[in-house]
Amino acid sequence: MLTVITLAILGLLWGGVYLLMATGLNLIYGVMKVVNLAHGDFIVLGGLLALSLFAEVGLNPLAAFPIAALVMFTIGAGVQFGLLEHITAAGSEGELRTLLATFGLSYVVANASFLVWGSQFQSVPFLEGAVQAGPIAIPAGLLAASLAAFATTLLIHLWLTTTITGKSLHATAQSALGAASCGIDVRRVRMLAFGLGSAMAGGAGALVITLIPFQTSTGGELTVHAFTLIALGGLGNYAGAWLAAELLGLTEVFAQFYLGSNAAAAVIYIVFIAVLVVRPQGLLGQAGRV
Amino acid sequence: MRDRLIEAVFLGTLLLLALVITRSGSAYLAQTLFNAGLAILLAIGWNVIGGFTGYVSFGQVSFFGVGAYVAALATTRLALPWPMAIAAAALGAIILALPLGLIMLRLSGIFFALGMFGLARILQISVSAMRVTGGPMGMSFDAAEDPHICAAVMLLVAAAALAATWLMLRSRFGLRLLAIRDDAVAASASGVHVWSVKVLAFCLSAALAAVGGALYAWNLGYLDPSSAFNGTIELQSVLMVTAGGIGTVWGPLVGGATISVLSTFLWARFPMEQQIVLGGLTILIAVAMPGGAMAALARRGVLRRTPVWAPPPAVTAAPATAPAMPDKRAPVLRCFNLGIRFGGVLAVKAVDLVAYPAEMLAVIGPNGAGKSTLFNLISAFARPATGHIVFDGKRLPPLRPERLARSGIARTFQTSRLFASLTVWETVLLAALSLHRNRRRARTEAARILAQVGLLEQWREVPETLPPGRQRLLEIARALALQPKVLLLDEAMAGMSAEEIARVHAALRHAMAGGCAVVAIEHVLPAIAPLAARVQVLDFGVTIAEGHPHAVLNDPAVITAYLGVELEDAADVAA
Repeated sequence: MLTVITLAILGLLWGGVYLLMATGLNLIYGVMKVVNLAHGDFIVLGGLLALSLFAEVGLNPLAAFPIAALVMFTIGAGVQFGLLEHITAAGSEGELRTLLATFGLSYVVANASFLVWGSQFQSVPFLEGAVQAGPIAIPAGLLAASLAAFATTLLIHLWLTTTITGKSLHATAQSALGAASCGIDVRRVRMLAFGLGSAMAGGAGALVITLIPFQTSTGGELTVHAFTLIALGGLGNYAGAWLAAELLGLTEVFAQFYLGSNAAAAVIYIVFIAVLVVRPQGLLGQAGRV
Repeated sequence: MRDRLIEAVFLGTLLLLALVITRSGSAYLAQTLFNAGLAILLAIGWNVIGGFTGYVSFGQVSFFGVGAYVAALATTRLALPWPMAIAAAALGAIILALPLGLIMLRLSGIFFALGMFGLARILQISVSAMRVTGGPMGMSFDAAEDPHICAAVMLLVAAAALAATWLMLRSRFGLRLLAIRDDAVAASASGVHVWSVKVLAFCLSAALAAVGGALYAWNLGYLDPSSAFNGTIELQSVLMVTAGGIGTVWGPLVGGATISVLSTFLWARFPMEQQIVLGGLTILIAVAMPGGAMAALARRGVLRRTPVWAPPPAVTAAPATAPAMPDKRAPVLRCFNLGIRFGGVLAVKAVDLVAYPAEMLAVIGPNGAGKSTLFNLISAFARPATGHIVFDGKRLPPLRPERLARSGIARTFQTSRLFASLTVWETVLLAALSLHRNRRRARTEAARILAQVGLLEQWREVPETLPPGRQRLLEIARALALQPKVLLLDEAMAGMSAEEIARVHAALRHAMAGGCAVVAIEHVLPAIAPLAARVQVLDFGVTIAEGHPHAVLNDPAVITAYLGVELEDAADVAA
């Protein structure tokens, strides 16, 4: 029983981390209507940046978090400005081309990281003790990462819903044409969205690398994780995304414990395909069409 | 015809040359040609699902890996000779793809692409966990003895696959694939069994990838999960097809040959940077040259797709024998109490509708009256919540739209839905082929209908180049090619010139003379009034008037529905 409770708490904490990973992708999907297939590689890159900051400068991961986010913001905004913005085709052709471009990007990012950091699994040690709550021990690192992730997601959410810039992002997500006709610079919004989404990926990476070791090829798996979550949770639905993140966190932790890590990886993909099949439109409410 | 001969001679020479080089060149050269052949084969397989069917996949490597493992196991465990092991690989992939297609093809766009990616990972993890495959350490077995023979077989298989897609694109199957890619809804309205065509294409593409995997195993003599389900293979397949030209016959050949040479070169000289360059090229092509090499060639008129079974045969005089007239007073279509609800809105509530052969029923009503929804219910694009339909004396079971289209209820759409890449000729031929198995018969019928609506001279054109009125005319021709007993026209004459309306009238009169019942939704009543025997008026999902056009148009309820109530009357009502 104690094991189950501990696992449940771990799962819920992991949910926070997943939420941060997916919210960035959700933001990009919302505004661009396209999933950034390099999202997972951005997460890994953020983590590896934190690793270098720790190894070279001795910066702790919580301090590396904003730096990784800032660097990834620049990269993300640059990708949007320099590459994706030049795909001018509208409708399904435009979506397909953007998707293919991010598919290529994912290989570029993963292999460029490989050149810099090599192929071995790497991790950043951080708060290795445990917080004791009665009979239950919770890893302090996970607790800190989870709280930081929750706080960041909440802040972004507040920013999106209360500030003018945030609202213009929201408006563009609902209808780019409508937003443009209200005088919103949609190009700028897209750049901001892609940058912000990437920043969240980078930040999440800085936290996650303290919890699980990263390899440059981990990216694809993380992209699927994040995408599963937004398919499950629903676009722009904060409560839905949070619920999905918790569900995914619990699934992952329980599968890891009872089935082993190999099978757990398969379980996530099976959940992913099951979600797609049961809700072909996703819980996003609209059919995804390329 | 001459172009095709040149194509054939050119390719034949190329293949022969490649075979000669394989036989006489060094083992290294043979291996390079093997890699090129494999790349081309994989590109062709990816193109069948990603290009012709429009389902971009990021998990085609699943079938490559499965094929490789099935072949390896067939030779080691069952001691099958390699040719049979390769056939077993294709069979295994099809057995896997059949149920999988039924599930995965329900997804679309990014969902399908990522779903397939997930599938490849699941398979990789499963194979790693299996003992029979040697788990993560892999398995080794006897490879091909002579690399020259191996390369020659590979090239022949790739050439056969290329020939197969070439033939496919000139067959009814290819025509249907292209139609589905352009617009699946319109394809099923044209009587195309969308589902089975897609699944068939999925299986074909899987089998091609599996044969590639089997030949790869035969060539190497060793397999492990991470090389059999290698992401690089996926990246290369996507890149080769997009570089060459997605959805074209020659694209995979051009892209496969160039990218495989480049990739082999990179692997030899810059193994660390190989994937960065390939990924970068993928981005570049997606951003800057969407159609790939073939689009650039097609703009110069080289290797452009030729219309299927063209040109249309000459149309002889109109058929002399009029078909037997069905009993005019027996209704061909009766709808009882049809209703459907969208969320909280009852779009159609309890509508009855009767259509008689050789007669037109006009359905009119203000915007949002439920006219188009009613059509969707009748043509099975939406399922009614209440009520039922009796067609041709029998109560209709819930059918798929294409079944209905084949059995005699054809329709057009409110905003025209044509196939962007099919010519006028192919559009009508597609529908005619749903009805006639016989090729000559279908061609004759398609040509006759095109002549009837006056589009025969424009048979080469694609919808984009037709003026809007002609596009509508083409849609009507497509519906007529199904030789319907009931034709549902959804504002078919909106935006037509007087001349085009006259053509439609002539075609409809002809169809009605043959016994076809026409049910026409129209906003512009004069466009339809001369033909309509009866008018039915809908408002807020219910029938508010029905009868002879003249009587209905003077009905106070109809006037109120269209023009509202005058202020004094409203005051009277209020008082």
